[in-house]
Order: sequence, then C-alpha cells, then structure tokens
Amino acid sequence: MATTPIRVLIADDHPVVRVGLRNMLQGDSFIKVVGEARDGVEALDLARRLRPDILLLDLAMPIVAGMEALREMTSANLNTRTIVLTGLIDNRQILEALQLGAHGIVLKDAAVEHLSQCIRAVMQGQYWLEGRPVQNLVQVLRDLTVQTTAPPRKTFGLTARELEVVTLITEGCTNKDIAKQFGISEETVKRHLTNIFNKLGVGNRLELALFALNHNLLPPTEGN
Amino acid sequence: MPENENTLASQVFDQLRQAMASDAAAFTELYRDYLADAWRLLGMLREAVQQQQLEELRAKAHHLKGSSMVLGARAVAQCATSLEEMGRQADVQGAVAMLERTHQALQHVQSELADRLGAGVVPADKSAA
Repeated sequence: MATTPIRVLIADDHPVVRVGLRNMLQGDSFIKVVGEARDGVEALDLARRLRPDILLLDLAMPIVAGMEALREMTSANLNTRTIVLTGLIDNRQILEALQLGAHGIVLKDAAVEHLSQCIRAVMQGQYWLEGRPVQNLVQVLRDLTVQTTAPPRKTFGLTARELEVVTLITEGCTNKDIAKQFGISEETVKRHLTNIFNKLGVGNRLELALFALNHNLLPPTEGN
Repeated sequence: MPENENTLASQVFDQLRQAMASDAAAFTELYRDYLADAWRLLGMLREAVQQQQLEELRAKAHHLKGSSMVLGARAVAQCATSLEEMGRQADVQGAVAMLERTHQALQHVQSELADRLGAGVVPADKSAA
C-alpha cells in the first residue's frame, strides 16, 4: 500500500536551524519538507498556499511572532496542525500555545530525538509534550492552569476586618481615620492592631506595613 | 556527562549523520556553515555588548542558541541562553565573561568537529585559529 508522505512546512528565522531541520527530516522517508518560512508572515502565506499537514513553528520570529502566527493559523482553519519548536518554554507559554491550537511542543535540543516521532503522533491525532504523546490533554491543561495561576493571597490567620485594617495602615491612615471609616471606636481599632501585631510578630506600624508589602498581604490594586 | 558530550552531543551528531548518509559532503557543509555562522554571530554579540544594544544582543544570542541546540553544540547553546537572558533583562553585567566562555565553547566544538570530520569542516577564515 502506497503511503503519502507527511507534508511539513518549517518556519524559523535562522537559516542554519532551517537547514539543520530539513536535513534531519530528510532522513525519514515518511516525511517531506515542502517549504521553509523566515518569519511569521511568510509562514502564514506559505501555509495558505502549500496546505502542509504540519507546520513546525518557532515562537521567536520577526514581523509576526510565533504565538500570533499560531493564533492566525488556527483561525484560518487550514487543517494544518502546528508543532511549536522552541529553545526554552515555560508552563505559561505551553498553556497559551495549546490554547491557541498547537498540537505539539518540541525543544530544539531534542529535535533529533523526538521530532519525527512527534510529527507522526500529531498526524495520528495525538498531542505531544515533554518528549512523549499526551494521554490526557484535559488533565494536562488543568495541571498547567493550576501551576500558572498566582498563589492565593496568604492571610496569616488574620480576620477579614484585620486585613482591612492592615490595608489602611499601609495607606498611612491613623487609628482615628480607621475608626471613622469603619464606624467603630478607636479602642476597637487598637484591639485589632494588638491582635494583628501578635499574629504577625511585628512591633509597630512601620514593621506591619513592610511585612504586608513583603508577604503579599495587600489586596491586588485595580488593573493588576 | 562526559565533557566532550557537552561540547557536541553524540546522539544529535550521529542521527544527523545517519539522516544525511547519502551525502557526506553536505553533512560536513552543514557543520561548516554552522561554525561560520556561529563565529559571525559571536562577533556581532561582542559588538552588541560594547554598544549596549540590548535587543541586538537578545536577537543574535537567540539565533546562536537555536542553531547550537539543533546541531548538538550544548555548551555553546547554554552560553547563548545566558546572553539572550542578559539582553532580555537589560543586564549585561557578566556579559564580557560570558562572551569569553562562548568563544572557548565554540573553539571546543570546532576542534571536536575537526577531529570527527576532518579539517575541511573548519571555515576558511578560522582554519588558522
């Protein structure tokens, strides 16, 4: 039975990388390199014209960066599956690439070892990460989402009202200001402060403000 | 990991050689082109550090990192990664020392390749280096 080779488009702005990848893939008779692109615009143009099965896409390219090219590739609905080829990538970028439609991620220093396998796996409908096919993409996405979400704000055992007092202290409010804002007596504010000092192990308002800043005790500001 | 394995990864070199078995001259040419390009990039990186051109430093270091990774020159790739980060962080403290390390790493790759492929792999303007 005749087998049609997998048609691959390489997109990387560095010619030595493109030549290296092309030669690497030429050793595989089931893969055919049908084109090479030097930037994101050319990658999109060649993908539209050549309709490759696979686009090997570098993330750091001029004119249109890899992530943007990936977004446009997905929205163009070309039936081309994209494999991100990169030097380094963190979990946030992996998550973004997968959400934008990438089917695989291969590190450049592992290209010789994994690229052919990855291309085959992706053509069979699998996803590829960290040198192997992904068994459960939903779980991977869930794990990456958890890993890339900011840790919850620590409270160090402070009550909601005590946290509000801390916020006002860091804004320079006096006990009288705080009492007025919350509609409570200055004596109650002092009791809150004593409790706060004891819980955090600080001795005065300045130490409290520094502790709050250093330990992410303050609520996020608007726009962050 | 043996020292020369960090200089030039055998798995990468051997698999590439196997993939290009039908054209040994092209294989040598691939590495000669890599060396010529890497020396050229190293010169541009020196210039970028001297001129404090941070975006140029980041971009050229990224190129050197990519080609070195694909062709198995691990130590050069590690140095280039550091230089790329210096450019990105706009902090070139230590860049001169890192450029020197990159030079040495590249010299080792060139020697290793000359041992494996013969003197023909060394770019013409580097054959006396």
